[in-house]
Amino acid sequence: MKLTRRSVALGAIASSALGTSLFRLVSPAIAQTAPIRIGWLASLTGASAAPAIGFNRGVVFAANEINAAGGVKGRQIEIVTRDTQGDPTKAVNATQELISQLKVDAIWGPTNSGESLAVTAIMTRNKMPSIHPCVVDSLIDPAKYPNAFRIAPSNTQWDDAVRNYCLNILKAKKVTVIGDTTGYGVTAANASVAAFKKAGVEIATQANIDATQPDMTADMLRARDAGAQVIVVWSVSTGMVARLLNTRATMGWDVPFVGHPSMASGDIGGLLAKPSNWEKVYAVGYRSCSYDAAGALPAHSQELVNKLQGKVNLSDSLLWWVAAGVDAINLVAQAVSTTGSSSSEAIIGHWNELAKYPGYFGAYTFSKTEHNGYPTEDVVMSAANSAKSGSFALAPGYT
Amino acid sequence: MFASIIASGLAMGAIYALIGITYNTMFATSRVMSFTAGQLGMLGGVFGSLLMLRLGLPLVLGLPLTLLLCAGVGIVTEFVAVRPVLKSLDQHLYVLTTLAVALLIQQVTAIEWSTEPQPFPRLFELGRDAWDEKYWLPVATCAVTISALEFLYRRTLIGRAFLAVAEDNFAARALGLPERTLRVASYAMAGAIGALAGFSGGQLLLAFFANGQLLNFYGFIPVALGGLGNNRGAIIGGLALGLFQQAANFTVGGIFASVAVFVLFIVVLLVAPQGLFGAPASRRV
Repeated sequence: MKLTRRSVALGAIASSALGTSLFRLVSPAIAQTAPIRIGWLASLTGASAAPAIGFNRGVVFAANEINAAGGVKGRQIEIVTRDTQGDPTKAVNATQELISQLKVDAIWGPTNSGESLAVTAIMTRNKMPSIHPCVVDSLIDPAKYPNAFRIAPSNTQWDDAVRNYCLNILKAKKVTVIGDTTGYGVTAANASVAAFKKAGVEIATQANIDATQPDMTADMLRARDAGAQVIVVWSVSTGMVARLLNTRATMGWDVPFVGHPSMASGDIGGLLAKPSNWEKVYAVGYRSCSYDAAGALPAHSQELVNKLQGKVNLSDSLLWWVAAGVDAINLVAQAVSTTGSSSSEAIIGHWNELAKYPGYFGAYTFSKTEHNGYPTEDVVMSAANSAKSGSFALAPGYT
Repeated sequence: MFASIIASGLAMGAIYALIGITYNTMFATSRVMSFTAGQLGMLGGVFGSLLMLRLGLPLVLGLPLTLLLCAGVGIVTEFVAVRPVLKSLDQHLYVLTTLAVALLIQQVTAIEWSTEPQPFPRLFELGRDAWDEKYWLPVATCAVTISALEFLYRRTLIGRAFLAVAEDNFAARALGLPERTLRVASYAMAGAIGALAGFSGGQLLLAFFANGQLLNFYGFIPVALGGLGNNRGAIIGGLALGLFQQAANFTVGGIFASVAVFVLFIVVLLVAPQGLFGAPASRRV
């Protein structure tokens, strides 16, 4: 047979058509058995590693549990982890890799707002179902980012909880608001001051303090002289918080501190001159991860703790980090299980109709116009010095 | 309030002055501004906390070991970041190499030590309020250090050899002085002085990996104010900086205090570009 240019071209077209139709025939079968790939942008090393390590324990636990039970409709969960080291540039590169090369079905993380701000638009461009626990309000906007969902409180929800505690339980009429000099500290303190003023509370003083400032006497004296009844703190710096608390003790002032969850960080304990300096300090916490006066967790949370017993270490982590990690994986698995598909449209569509999904960290509700899924009423204040296996005692005044 | 300003101002000023002296000591024998000075201060706090709190060593062992470890870091800096670029000082490559080593030190500390501030031990349990040891220890350390340096430079042969190399290293070499060995020794000494800054100020600054940047920055100001290579100028510049910074902190608050410091710094440099105590550089024509 004589080979001509025309016969080669026809042959190529025919074989490509045959290949395509064969692929179409087999692809549903592949999809039904292929693993569900969940990208996990984890800052496992670097400055903000502690939360990601906690989340990771939940992620691994949930994936193992689902896979051990046979997977989701026969499909195994595959976690594709990338360590972003808390660096937005690395987070962007990892996101591109997860989407373009590794073809993941959904992404959990990043777990800090700086990285999330850098990657959210990329995920949206690629219609990637995204779920994260970052607090910056602007990260969630269903019109701009229809693919992005939050399963932890936003900063506004934290702020609401802090303000409500100051107003309704501590009955404060005059507060001092302190933030650090980071972008987060300045923004959060300004938002807090605006909300307090709107609620009719007088601002005794407002300060943004460099987290490495060695002496806090000036700021505390100003607050006391202005008649502050509560000090509200918005900072992730444990060093700064510890210095403020030591200064409060040196001044012999027993003004309560209310604010950011970092005030309950175990690192603070070692930096205090005396353990009693940590009294009357109330940090943002969560009802699901708080124990009552009798020392009991809510039943659903206790169920998780029992499951984690012996498998996941809670002594150097927070229960909510682990619980949110478990919930994130379960939310993806449940979306695939319910819709029978791991396509982006199916997962996002399912999440958009989720009502009171009973996660361990919270009961999440999403809609097409609200992607902040965490219930505000479950954001409470905890006694900062009461850590016990990753959970905290409810602050005084809650029932 | 006045006592607090004086106490914390002098303490921070003494720490900045010691870092300024660290810069000067490295500069004297190499003509290199090594940006590892602040990291040596940071390491002084971290090694002190590691040796005394985590490993439980007493002060008599913890302090000398801290000084030795930081002296070692100083020597490594000389070999890795300074010696290879000495031949091309006019290209200022040392800015890159010393900054790279500084960054390396910071990142390794963050990964191996902690990214959160860690406690530093009480050393003598002496004093309270404005007389607390955390305030007077850096000042006392600064006084002892500058006295020892003055004695070394003016009363000992090796000190005079340092001065000779600092004055004119070609002439010093021609006279048979071991210029390289003296340079390595000066980097070791700078490491120990930086360590003293961090160790004596550990109770104020805590053992925190991010202190290096802060000390690099604020430790450079006394050098610029006092005149490059002038240790007495660095002491006066450092103490003035500390007092001004704390006074601004008490009167106008955190963010504005930093602004006030840098406004003053720029104004001083506009009025006296060679520093308040530095001599104008002469150039042979």
